[in-house]
Amino acid sequence: MLLKVENLQAQVEEKQILKGLNLEVKPGEVHAIMGPNGSGKSTFASVLAGREDYEVTAGSVAFNGEDLLEMDPEERARKGLFLAFQYPVEIPGVSNKLFMQTAVNAVREEKGLPPLDMFDFDEYAREKIKLLDMRADLLERSVNVGFSGGEKKRNDIFQMALLEPKLCILDETDSGLDIDALRIVANGVNALRSPERGFIVVTHYQRLLDYIKPDHVHVLYNGRIVKSGGFELVHELEEHGYDDIIQQHQGE
Amino acid sequence: MAKKFTPVMQSAMTHYAQLSDDLNKAESPYLTALRQSAKAQFLEQGFPTRRDEDWGYTKLTDFVQTHFRLQGISHLTQADILPFLPSFGATRIVLVDGWFSESLSDDLSALPKGVTIESFEDLQQVPESAVQLQAHQQDVAQEPFAVMNTMLLNDGVVIQIDKHAVLEMPLFVLHVQTQPNHLSNLRNRITVGEYADVTLVEAYVSLSDDLCALTNVVSEIDIASHARVKQVVLQQQNKQSYYFNNQFVYQAEHSGFNTLYAGLGCVTSRHQNHVYMNGEHIETIQNSACYATGAQTVDSRSYTEHNQEHGFSQQLHKYVLDGEAVGVFNGMIKVARAAQKTDGQMDNKNLLLSDSAQMDTKPQLEIYADDVKCSHGSATGQINKEQIFYLQARGIPRPQAVRMITEAFLLEPVEVVSHGAIREWVAQILSQTLRG
Ligand SMILES: Nc1ncnc2c1ncn2[C@@H]1O[C@H](COP(=O)(O)OP(=O)(O)OP(=O)(O)O)[C@@H](O)[C@H]1O
Ligand SMILES: [Mg+2]
Repeated sequence: MLLKVENLQAQVEEKQILKGLNLEVKPGEVHAIMGPNGSGKSTFASVLAGREDYEVTAGSVAFNGEDLLEMDPEERARKGLFLAFQYPVEIPGVSNKLFMQTAVNAVREEKGLPPLDMFDFDEYAREKIKLLDMRADLLERSVNVGFSGGEKKRNDIFQMALLEPKLCILDETDSGLDIDALRIVANGVNALRSPERGFIVVTHYQRLLDYIKPDHVHVLYNGRIVKSGGFELVHELEEHGYDDIIQQHQGE
Repeated sequence: MAKKFTPVMQSAMTHYAQLSDDLNKAESPYLTALRQSAKAQFLEQGFPTRRDEDWGYTKLTDFVQTHFRLQGISHLTQADILPFLPSFGATRIVLVDGWFSESLSDDLSALPKGVTIESFEDLQQVPESAVQLQAHQQDVAQEPFAVMNTMLLNDGVVIQIDKHAVLEMPLFVLHVQTQPNHLSNLRNRITVGEYADVTLVEAYVSLSDDLCALTNVVSEIDIASHARVKQVVLQQQNKQSYYFNNQFVYQAEHSGFNTLYAGLGCVTSRHQNHVYMNGEHIETIQNSACYATGAQTVDSRSYTEHNQEHGFSQQLHKYVLDGEAVGVFNGMIKVARAAQKTDGQMDNKNLLLSDSAQMDTKPQLEIYADDVKCSHGSATGQINKEQIFYLQARGIPRPQAVRMITEAFLLEPVEVVSHGAIREWVAQILSQTLRG
């Protein structure tokens, strides 16, 4: 099992947001998580990545059999967990290249591989830039500073391609992307699909899922997964919205 | 009403006045008169106290405990100064404990065409040049430590760049402190002729980490029309020492002055630019990058006078403060009535790495012209948690993430240094200092 989440409960500033979430992801699987605004999707992704604002009050998360919640965020990343942020952060003055070279080498260190020097890294990065059809000059600029919304998202997926993680969590990577960018990002994701790698794709729209074809689709509502199904669930939601689900689970 | 001083302060004042008298024994009547009038002023005004508005945060209570004096001459070898020499090619001038060192400096009789460099001590033997050495007495007399500097005049560097001389090679002036309780009193005079172009790098260092010394510098810099001066001042003395530097800069029309101050060392340091933009179409850039930790106080200030039309001035002063450190910034842009179309910007940004670090900032504008574009801003904050998390989420350990963000923050002012190798050199030193 790549990821096993059991009865996960988490709060922020005394407010309970995740209220007993269960999820299992096997290597090679793609899971989509949908759900209304404010239902806790980003919170779930953040708790997995280790953001300190969120306090886990109950439950457990095993990542490749290890206790994920015991690890620092950097340790999670080094062990192969990757979060593509809903809002990628700007870091003035830190070049994208230095950032990613440092990150790639941190992950390589964990794997017992020697660090890539500037030339090796350049070469490695060039392949991935091509994969995502990124403007090469974005690598020379400060991390996400002055990037358009779409460029930021693409930059996150580029990082994902560089780090080759085991579990990729995409938090609304599709929102803000134009039609072409969406296709490119989806291709990037598909290129990374492998029997060893799992994906959790948080999204509001069918568009991205049409490209990625998830194996499982879940609806997160009020801090819990309230419905799971196959790809057909996406069409159902697209047609009927969340009204039925909300009504069923109101007051829980 | 006469100012009141504590006994400790009074005793320090008397000590420095006596030091001034000692210097007068064997020299020109002109210099003696100059020192004596400065001494009279110094004794009357004394050292700044907490009640002096401009000195509220930069306290001298520790400083006056030690009576710094001229401790005689140290002899250093090339090997001693090797660690302080820069990675870029430069004409080298070395001062040891405030005295010009002929043996450690490049041969000043074989300088590139258009440059003359002499020691202040040599020049002041000639009465008429001595008079020229103090061109801006009135302005100098406004600053307490500059007055003290005049009272204790002895050595320094006198640099003259002929008109149209464009120096490819930067001038590197190294000041090394070698003796405990020593006072280095440096008086520099730099004149740059029309259309000349020069890059000046000054480094202030201590030979060892444990000696407590005082460096008090006054530089008068005259920049003729269409001339350009690019300057980097690196203050990297040990954490026991004191540093006061007053730079008086006079610019003629169409000239450019671009200065970066990197303030890293000393228990208490204060770097002051006084820039007089006395012609049209002048460009002035003044940046600083300061880092302080422990019990350090780092003070950097600028006074910028726009006196004619179409002046452009820009400033970015950044501080990173850790431990119990105190940072002080004070900037004043004064725009005279005649200085229409002035464009003046001043920014101060500070990053506090600890809860007990403190920043005191006071950017000011005083504008008498009506058609100007001036702005000033200041922001002090902690390191952004989202940024740290973003780097961590990519596998970068937290301490390294903090360092990367901090470094990037502090290095921004360095971007004004146009000479690539010098920029790299300063950036490297700043990064190393941040890494501790
Ligand atoms: N740091 C925080 N402080 C206070 N409240 C928070 C914080 N983070 C999240 N919340 C609250 O938790 C709830 C869940 O937020 P979350 O961002 O997880 O929702 P989401 O499902 O990702 O929504 P969206 O679809 O709009 O992105 C919301 O009510 C939100 O306001
Ligand atoms: Mg969200």
